[in-house]
Amino acid sequence: MKSKFFVFICIFVLISSGFCFANGQKETSADQVTLKYIYWGSPAEDAAVKQALSDFEAANPTIKVEPMYLPGDLDGSTYNAKMKALAVSNTLPDVGYFRPEEFGNYAENDYFLKLDDLMARDGMGESYLSQTWLKIKGNTYGAYTAAECQVMWYNKKVLEEAGIPIPPTDYKNAWTWDEFVSVLKKITVDSKGKHPGDATFNAKDIVRYGVSYDLWSAMYYPSVWSNGGDIIGADGKTVYIDKPETIEAFQNLADLMNVHHVMPRMSGGTNISPLTMLANNQLGFYVTGQWTLLDLGGMKDFDYGVAALPIMKKPAQIYVSGVNVVFKATKHPEEAWALQKWMMDPSKTLDLYTSGLWMPTKKSYYTDEKDLAKWLNNDVHPQGFKEAVVDSMAVAINEPIKIRNINQIWGDYLNAAVESIWIGEKTAQVALTEVAEKVRKSGLLQGSY
Amino acid sequence: MAHSKLGFNEKRQTFWGWILISPLCLGLTLWVAFPMGLSFFTSLTKWDMLSKAQFVGFKNYISIFTEDELFLKSIRNTLYFTFLSVPLQMITALAGALLLNSQVKGKRVFRTIFYLPSLIPLVVSSVMWLWLFNNQYGLINYFLHSFGINRIQWIDSKEMVIPSLTIMNVWNIGNVIIIFLAGLQGIPNDLMEAVDIDGGTYWHKFRYVMLPLLSPIILYNMIVNMIKCLQLFVEPYIMTNGGPVNSSLSFVLHIYNNAFKYGKMGTANAMAWVLFILTMGISLLIFKTSTLWTYYEGDK
Repeated sequence: MKSKFFVFICIFVLISSGFCFANGQKETSADQVTLKYIYWGSPAEDAAVKQALSDFEAANPTIKVEPMYLPGDLDGSTYNAKMKALAVSNTLPDVGYFRPEEFGNYAENDYFLKLDDLMARDGMGESYLSQTWLKIKGNTYGAYTAAECQVMWYNKKVLEEAGIPIPPTDYKNAWTWDEFVSVLKKITVDSKGKHPGDATFNAKDIVRYGVSYDLWSAMYYPSVWSNGGDIIGADGKTVYIDKPETIEAFQNLADLMNVHHVMPRMSGGTNISPLTMLANNQLGFYVTGQWTLLDLGGMKDFDYGVAALPIMKKPAQIYVSGVNVVFKATKHPEEAWALQKWMMDPSKTLDLYTSGLWMPTKKSYYTDEKDLAKWLNNDVHPQGFKEAVVDSMAVAINEPIKIRNINQIWGDYLNAAVESIWIGEKTAQVALTEVAEKVRKSGLLQGSY
Repeated sequence: MAHSKLGFNEKRQTFWGWILISPLCLGLTLWVAFPMGLSFFTSLTKWDMLSKAQFVGFKNYISIFTEDELFLKSIRNTLYFTFLSVPLQMITALAGALLLNSQVKGKRVFRTIFYLPSLIPLVVSSVMWLWLFNNQYGLINYFLHSFGINRIQWIDSKEMVIPSLTIMNVWNIGNVIIIFLAGLQGIPNDLMEAVDIDGGTYWHKFRYVMLPLLSPIILYNMIVNMIKCLQLFVEPYIMTNGGPVNSSLSFVLHIYNNAFKYGKMGTANAMAWVLFILTMGISLLIFKTSTLWTYYEGDK
């Protein structure tokens, strides 16, 4: 009898403590609003965003923001997986970053708040670049977080040592591809001081490389477009991967690694970050996304510059960025919209722009001299940034995120094909012609959103 | 004195028996049986987790065999890894256990060294091996280079990526060695002395005494290891993302990609069931043929 009594006491205690715990979750004050803001990025971006969020809290005492930080992953697969889990379990955050390639899918399934009325009420439509707002079927569901693009940084000391003059910064008059390759050969050197093309050059013993390109989908587009090629048409149905211009662009990039040996081979997983290599004088040029300026600017005593992207046939640029959305399931749409507006307003979050993380989406910060100086005139932004990067946005084409199934087309087909070109297993001609056929037959070309 | 009704004592014992195993039953139902059933039902649908699920019957199962090239490739990669890893692990672990069983100096030190790797979480050791295997700056290539041997492309080359993952796996055999060691120490000494009396060498001891008595343990380790190897996920996910060119795309990584990257939950669940059947098939095969070579004490 005693043991039975004891067991029942234990069960009772467990159940009642469960109730107490559940009750303790209620919000303590009625008018305090808590928003969850989800975002990704490097540790430096994490710090910058947290600062912006706490500035918002200071300006809005009744709103508390809980940051949900996901460490940066380049192709977004971790972020997408987490987002799906949150969506299915109905625990989505209120507002935050969203992966551009999944945007159309979620917008169609009604996960985002329609922003048109809020925009009209607050007069936001005109003051922002028209490319900023993302519409699906005529309704605005999100805004690009920033006007990001591709840039080419260089290490001043490495170029000096190799005897290279200051690279051109005018995006319309950059180096041609051949000029670029010959410069890279002068920079690339093995442990005995030999350059590619010298008789005794040892490609397995290179101590300093000419360039490194970030090799993921968005980073290929500028090179492909510069050569007059494309991947998939905006209609989401025409495949241009096997166009001769596209093939030539990919072969040019691959040759940097396998023929000219001026670019290190990067494996599928992570490797030594090219940023580290650049700072350690092991790399001359680094072609990457504009947001890496945040990390570059944070490095002490590192003298870097910006150069105009090399031109294959014509200048090209990509408009790539994460998307800022307000989730429809939010319980506080007004407050969430206020936070969204805050994060989009350079006057409130100037640090995010002066530090080099973002380029503004507000028109005046490009057209008005005073506003332009506010975010460009500092040590972080190197000389020539305006001509090389800001002005190049005039030819920028949006990353094609509105094509249906673009994620799977890259994941199941294109990435592997492109990788086989990088490792020299197949020529671009063979690999891209094969994969173009496979994509056409895959049934994934279902148009665009 | 067979009563058909239970007496009072037996009823009480049965009642308390059920109460005490109810947590386990609940756990098995909630976290094993229910998800398995849900997974099977999901495998009969097309569901991207955002919109409603549509019932498609067994189409998923058919499509993974006919339309998905990467599916067969991932099975091939996983089987290659399994059939390379498991024998290598067994042999190395057995050798290690024999070493620890003998009267070698510094036995305790060796035991710690062998067991330490298995204490490191798999994700941590994956990142560590990513550095070790690095083509340019990795430690392994550094040592090879200083001996004048050419740098080997470990996880960067299609041919070497699975052998590299095997090396990682063999490094991690602490658990297996401990189990073998326990088995070796359970071998009665008089059997070993009998071989000595008959004029046998260490090899005879190994072949005619140790191996047969260890065979149940070898069987256990083989099955457990094989199941673990068939579920290879963490290393390719962290180190190579299935590359280069899908040569390290393991089965479970492909399932993960389909489920969370491409939003094809139905297909992913179908693949998971195929993996289940494959694992069961191989295990049954090993069990059935095991009677030919395992020897349990008390058998003829």
